[in-house]
Amino acid sequence: MKNFASGASALVLAAMCASYAQAGEFDGVTLDAKLIGGQQYEALYGRISEWEAETGAKVNIISKKNHFEMDKEFKSDIAAGTTSWCVGSNHSSFASQYPSLYMDLSGLVPAETVAEFVPANIKAATLDGKLVMLPRGQFDVSALYYQKDLYEDADNQAKFKAEYGYDLAVPETWEQVSDQAVFFSDPPNRYGTQYAGKDEAIVGRFYEMVVAEGGKLFNDDFSPAFNSEAGVRALNWFVDLYDAGAVPPGTTSYLWDDLGNGFASGTIAMNLDWPGWAGFFNDPASSKVAGNVGIAPAPKGSAGVRTGWSGFHGFSVTSDCENKEAAASLVMFLTNEDSQKMESDAGPLPTRTAVWDYVTEQAKSDPYRSEVLAAFKETAKTAFAVPATPYWIEATNLIFPELQAAILGDKTSEEALEAAAEAVDDMMRENGEY
Amino acid sequence: MFRYKLPPWLLLLLPAIIVLAAVVMLPLLLSLYSSFTPYRLTRPDSLFKWIGTYNYEKALTDSKFWAAFGRTIVLLTIALNLEMLLGLGLALLVSKVTRGQRALRTMMMFPMMFSPVLVGFQFKFIFNDNVGLVNNALQSLGITDQVIPWLVDGKLAMFSIIFAEVWTSTSVFAILILAGLYAIPKDPLEAAKVDGCTSWQTFRHITLPFIMPFIYIAMAIRSLDVARAYDIVQIMTNGGPARRTELLWTLIGRTGYVDAKMGYANAMGYTSIFLAIFFTVYFFRKLTSARNELGMGG
Repeated sequence: MKNFASGASALVLAAMCASYAQAGEFDGVTLDAKLIGGQQYEALYGRISEWEAETGAKVNIISKKNHFEMDKEFKSDIAAGTTSWCVGSNHSSFASQYPSLYMDLSGLVPAETVAEFVPANIKAATLDGKLVMLPRGQFDVSALYYQKDLYEDADNQAKFKAEYGYDLAVPETWEQVSDQAVFFSDPPNRYGTQYAGKDEAIVGRFYEMVVAEGGKLFNDDFSPAFNSEAGVRALNWFVDLYDAGAVPPGTTSYLWDDLGNGFASGTIAMNLDWPGWAGFFNDPASSKVAGNVGIAPAPKGSAGVRTGWSGFHGFSVTSDCENKEAAASLVMFLTNEDSQKMESDAGPLPTRTAVWDYVTEQAKSDPYRSEVLAAFKETAKTAFAVPATPYWIEATNLIFPELQAAILGDKTSEEALEAAAEAVDDMMRENGEY
Repeated sequence: MFRYKLPPWLLLLLPAIIVLAAVVMLPLLLSLYSSFTPYRLTRPDSLFKWIGTYNYEKALTDSKFWAAFGRTIVLLTIALNLEMLLGLGLALLVSKVTRGQRALRTMMMFPMMFSPVLVGFQFKFIFNDNVGLVNNALQSLGITDQVIPWLVDGKLAMFSIIFAEVWTSTSVFAILILAGLYAIPKDPLEAAKVDGCTSWQTFRHITLPFIMPFIYIAMAIRSLDVARAYDIVQIMTNGGPARRTELLWTLIGRTGYVDAKMGYANAMGYTSIFLAIFFTVYFFRKLTSARNELGMGG
């Protein structure tokens, strides 16, 4: 009996030890997190409970908003000094605005983990030598969606050849997009194409077009470089299409939702858009062009360079976080291979090399999904992030009204770019950039 | 032993003074102070750098600021006058109704019950060039086969915003003027009838002077409202395109929150408050003289 009792207590002790070991390294730790909200982003947060069970820590999501709202909240937090929460959603287009908010992750994340991500994404997540976030499986770059039947129509082919002197085919250059957009336009029933017309969106589109035309938006010291021949050519692409009536007249007030719904309504022939819309466009419940959607890599500008303004979501750890190891562990978990596979199964593009291979393999049986992935994979090869200056958003706010003024004919392209460059130059000087 | 005691009136007022100081004066003083600094929301330390009147000089020499200032005054003038005329008409019509007047009055107030953000979205949809109600109606009725870019064309965009403003707030005028109409004593009206005045003469020389104080009160309230116009414009056009509908507060809001330049935004804010003060003083002077005319002054 005594033997039995001592044997039993030894067992209990052993079991207790084991359960303590399993309870994990962050027992009793609670992490406050501010995460981006929205249907496509939130499925991933369901995995947080797995991490909690694994590590014994708790995650307390104290804010969930879209990125623009989040951006305002982060700025207020910095102003008020309330930055002791630990994990925050981040975005490559916004990250450079918060130089002090987030810490360098390279000390906490093993180099081999970092090496598993697409190098271009890690480069864009590194600001001033600091790895400020780990990219999640939400990579964004735009490719060209089009209505297939317009290209298959024999009548269209013959007329186009007669008018423009070359065969009607899915465009490979932006010049061809212009020709075809004018050709396909039949307002108000159909427009050749459309573009985002305000805020950061149109400046991003202009930025990638300047690059595709062989120019630069900013010099290395972030002084404006877009007031150049390449800049004028880039802006004229937008202006000429507007003048020709090949884009909806309201396009200068459109943002992403207007554009996506516009293409889905069947009134737009070609549409440069994000990967997140691929499923929506081909779903009969949401789109009149379902089954008729083709997708090609982003066309090239006159310099032979593809447009490829890109961005991605990620997770960061604040400099004021008390449990940085636990926070970094959560960030690694939310961006690990399983997490990215889960996100990319729903459509978005991954930022890990192995997961790109995985999704390509998975899509083999689905021709539409394969076409989508091939187009985005090709575009992603030469994609580039926004200039890494904390004044990017402020610069876009100075540039976009001038672009609109040129598009609407209030100014010539040269005048508009000159005014925008002057305003950006003043702003950069005032902020002590140079 | 001498004990210093606060006079009782001050003691009694103290709670109110403390609350007012905490919730009104302190934020006002802080924002006034920050307008003399290069304060950026993302750089808290910039709050402690004094740069004198630099922000004010920058605002006063900025053509975009003055263009927005001018546009705000245009909006104010057109919207207020239209609302006043329509409100007056509406009030006169409703005052003649004998049955169901209460229901009419309630219905008249419906637009006021909507949040301005909702009104913004509603009119953004109505005036959308592609799927909007107005263009679809015009096209279906065969009035035009063109797409009219309501929110893009400079004049039409301003018109659309004024339309939305007038739609929500005409009833403010109507309700106040209606109250004025009820308050008119019957004797002068009857005397006018006996003396053989035409209905226009009665309106011009008796009704109108009596309701003028009410009109000026409505004007003062609405001028403050319109001078702060933000929500509807922000939703419908966000000041665009190409700054064609940029008003003071869309400009200031963007500078302060999106560009995070709170110091400069506050300087522009304080400059434009003078606009509001000017209109308030102007309408209150008018109000006083209108009351004096009726022998109600003093």
